[in-house]
Amino acid sequence: MEDNGEEKLIAVARHIAKTLGHNESMADDILQIFSNFDGRFSREKLSEKMAGAAGDDLRACASLEQTLGSLERQISQYVVADHPIWADSADSSAFLDSIDELIATIRDWKPMATADKSISACIVRAEDFMQQAMFRLEDEFRLLMERGCESFELAPPYANGESTGNLLFDSDDDEEEAIVTNGEDHNQIPVAQPLTDYDIVIDALPSGTINDLHEIAKRMVAAGFGKDCSHVYSSCRRGFLEESMSRLGMQKLSIEVQKMSWHDLEDEIDKWIKAANVALRILFPSERRLCDRVFFGFSSAADLSFMEVCRGSTIQILNFADAVAIGSRSPERLFKILDLFETLRELMPDFEYNFSDQYCLVLRNDAVTIWKRLGEAIRGIFMELENLIRRDPAKAPVPRGGLHPITRYVMNYLRAACRSRETLEQVFEENVNVVPSKDSSSSSLSVQIAWVMELLESNLEMKSKIYGDSALCTVFMMNNGRYIIQKVKDSELGSLLGDDWIRKHTAKIKQLQMSYQRITWNKALGALKADNSSAVPNVAGKFLHMKDKIKFFNSYFEETYKIQSQWIIFDEQLRKEMRISLANLLLPAYGNFIKRFQNSPEVGKHADKHIKYTVEDIEARINDLFQGVSGSAGSRN
Amino acid sequence: MPATDYQGLSASISRSILSLRRDQIHSMEPTHEASGHDLELEAFQRQVADRFLDLSSVGSDDLLSLSWIRKLLDSFLCCQEEFRVILFNNRSQVYKAPLDRLINDFFERSVKALDLCNAIRDGIEQIREWKKLIEIVLCALDNRRILGEGQFRRAKKALIDLALSMLDERESTAALAHRNRSFGRQNAASSRDHRNFGHFRSLSWSVSRSWSAARQLQAIGNNLAAPKANEIVATNGIAVAVYTMNSILLFVMWALVAAIPCQDRGLQVHFSIPRQFSWAVPILSLHERVLEESRKRDRRNACGLLREIYQMDKCTKALAEMADSVQFPLTEEKEAEVRLRVQELGKVCEVIKEALDPLERQVRDVFHRIVHSRTEGLDSLGRVNHND
Repeated sequence: MEDNGEEKLIAVARHIAKTLGHNESMADDILQIFSNFDGRFSREKLSEKMAGAAGDDLRACASLEQTLGSLERQISQYVVADHPIWADSADSSAFLDSIDELIATIRDWKPMATADKSISACIVRAEDFMQQAMFRLEDEFRLLMERGCESFELAPPYANGESTGNLLFDSDDDEEEAIVTNGEDHNQIPVAQPLTDYDIVIDALPSGTINDLHEIAKRMVAAGFGKDCSHVYSSCRRGFLEESMSRLGMQKLSIEVQKMSWHDLEDEIDKWIKAANVALRILFPSERRLCDRVFFGFSSAADLSFMEVCRGSTIQILNFADAVAIGSRSPERLFKILDLFETLRELMPDFEYNFSDQYCLVLRNDAVTIWKRLGEAIRGIFMELENLIRRDPAKAPVPRGGLHPITRYVMNYLRAACRSRETLEQVFEENVNVVPSKDSSSSSLSVQIAWVMELLESNLEMKSKIYGDSALCTVFMMNNGRYIIQKVKDSELGSLLGDDWIRKHTAKIKQLQMSYQRITWNKALGALKADNSSAVPNVAGKFLHMKDKIKFFNSYFEETYKIQSQWIIFDEQLRKEMRISLANLLLPAYGNFIKRFQNSPEVGKHADKHIKYTVEDIEARINDLFQGVSGSAGSRN
Repeated sequence: MPATDYQGLSASISRSILSLRRDQIHSMEPTHEASGHDLELEAFQRQVADRFLDLSSVGSDDLLSLSWIRKLLDSFLCCQEEFRVILFNNRSQVYKAPLDRLINDFFERSVKALDLCNAIRDGIEQIREWKKLIEIVLCALDNRRILGEGQFRRAKKALIDLALSMLDERESTAALAHRNRSFGRQNAASSRDHRNFGHFRSLSWSVSRSWSAARQLQAIGNNLAAPKANEIVATNGIAVAVYTMNSILLFVMWALVAAIPCQDRGLQVHFSIPRQFSWAVPILSLHERVLEESRKRDRRNACGLLREIYQMDKCTKALAEMADSVQFPLTEEKEAEVRLRVQELGKVCEVIKEALDPLERQVRDVFHRIVHSRTEGLDSLGRVNHND
């Protein structure tokens, strides 16, 4: 303690010198005191002299009392003032000056209080009205924060033509909520400013007010009332933020949002996206700036206060995203959850920026965790999609071998999903460490999509089995396969699955086409073939054979035509190809057969009686196939 | 507090299970397969019982203390992890009827627990807010200071804010009136304060106003019944593990709600665990003891039974009384008394300060693990059905 002796003396001397400025009559005394103190700079003597030189101390004490007396008069006049002190800048600066002086007085004299009862009594008195001054400062601080908000409220919203009606806090369509000018709102919340882009920082309070607040905060921190100040600050701003969030349409929702209908939840997600953007890009940076300015020079107080202000709102934002991520994995949810994921991803730098200090570390980490969890949810949705495809039962066959709803659903779903290709790639890349893809050249997303396609195909195959007619089964597979290829080709899916995939699947359609021809027409073609099986021609047998053959062909063709003209091949190109290929197969064979038939001596003149169709008739009928003629065609769009 | 490292623990469980499996490979008899499975389930029962026996051996001074709550959460995390391993090892049957229904039911209950975790997190934040006010009190009545009227006024203001914040919402209106009166006695400067009551607000909860912790607990406990003999047989005994985990979930969440402030606390949850489960006795005894605690006269209206809240409440009430009755200048005796209380409060504050952050992390951890285990389960559920 003795080491401080010299400091104490200097402190006293400094203080007295200050007093001198106010009261010249003290000059002599001060000089006296100075010279007395001068002699005591040796440490051993100090304590003894301090105790012994009661007279000198008495004088020092008298000067302290006088200083305090004048300060008390000055300060108490403000402490009891019944109007806001900061209404008048002369008043406020005089008040602050007195407080400065009081702080300095206490700081200078306090070290001596332990040794001297009378100084100690003075300090108690000084601290007593310091406390009163601080309470008043706290009130003024709070008042300024509230009034600062009010001044915004009274200001008319910008009405320039460029930003028409795009109101920051205009959650839906009710503008009266956004523009509070009629004094109905007792919570004194500032009005929202029109906004067209997120890259702005608003001054939550007028600049002058912020300076005033900073001046007050400086005194409160210096007087050891920093915590009290930050407490008032955070509770005021927190209220403001909370109110802003609710104006943005953010409800307080728990994990139980799962019970909400998806339609309602979609609305909530839209509101969330807007609110999260405004919060992270405008509100929080503005709070950060306000905090840094009010607590300028006290970075720890600034960081702590900022965290206290923003924490609740941040958790509210994150909890909602978390709840959605944990919720149902129904595939219909994919698109909104992608929106959520993307919003949070875009906001990651803002989380980093806003919450870069130690107090906010938890919030930053939470944001990352929940963002990843949304990725997990997206992967879960794909898993659910896989399950749905797998389990989709084969009920009644689609009439006429047409397109199955599941094909249309899955393909359109995937196409729509792939509009967010980059996001999905990111999401599935995340998972790559867990399930390494076999093919390193393709992305995890390609593997995923190829897998879904495989499941779809095997489900369709399972469904094709319920057709009694195996030709119809191939038509069904062709229709669905062709639809798949087309949807793949004209979207991102094409580049994801690759040319190889498309080639392979096109070849598969060709194969199906061949099997269709084989299944349907091999028998008929067999009948039309020149019969060179028998080495020894049996004249009578051949005649019968030829007649039987044409009879068989006629009835087979008629029957097949009747049935297959009802079947449908949606794709015009494929339909054309099928007919051409069929015509190429059937017409020459039939033409040759007819020639042989007509020239067959056994048939003779009665030949025309047996010929039901000319080659042209056959061709015309082939061109009628796969039209889906009967009844209302379930044509596709 | 010896925090059990559940990750390490789960690793050791996996190891023991692995060694069990190795034994089975050596002797390829199916009976051994069954006994390995039984051993695993028995080990789980034993470990759960051991943990809760340990938890219930706590002295009355430590029951519901921060360190005890942390130990409770550690135990929960261990059990949860072991349970996960059991599900994993039995994944071929776990996600098929009749077990899948039980597992889904467990997931449903655990999702309800997630909301409680979030509410508890709010409660922790609430305690943090109180800590801040206590720090103001401690700062005002600092040891190095000379205790004058000013210091007491400052401390008192913080104490009143604290008392107000610790009251339930429905009581706070009356409390506001009290605060008015308190300040009415003071000098003109402070009388202005009551104008700002509109601005005094405790932290709001992140859940909606209608949300209730009590109802949430009841929802977790709904239709929770011990498995019947035929169910146990049909599920190869796994139904017992599921029931065990459900009960632990309910008890741990209930204990958290008992200890930590949250919206609409209520402890009227029916625990009816058959005593033949080795862990039933310690859990039921803890349940009884916590209920007893909640029925104590000075704790009946507490916003949380956490030991430290109680101590804080006791200290701050005593200080508030002193601040109201104290005469200046202070007698030495009075001063010593105040200093003692301040010291006591400082100690509680220190404990809270040290334990809150880890506690919050643990609660988050519980949350994440529940989510993780559920996600894993749902994934497996999908995959298993593939093979149907």
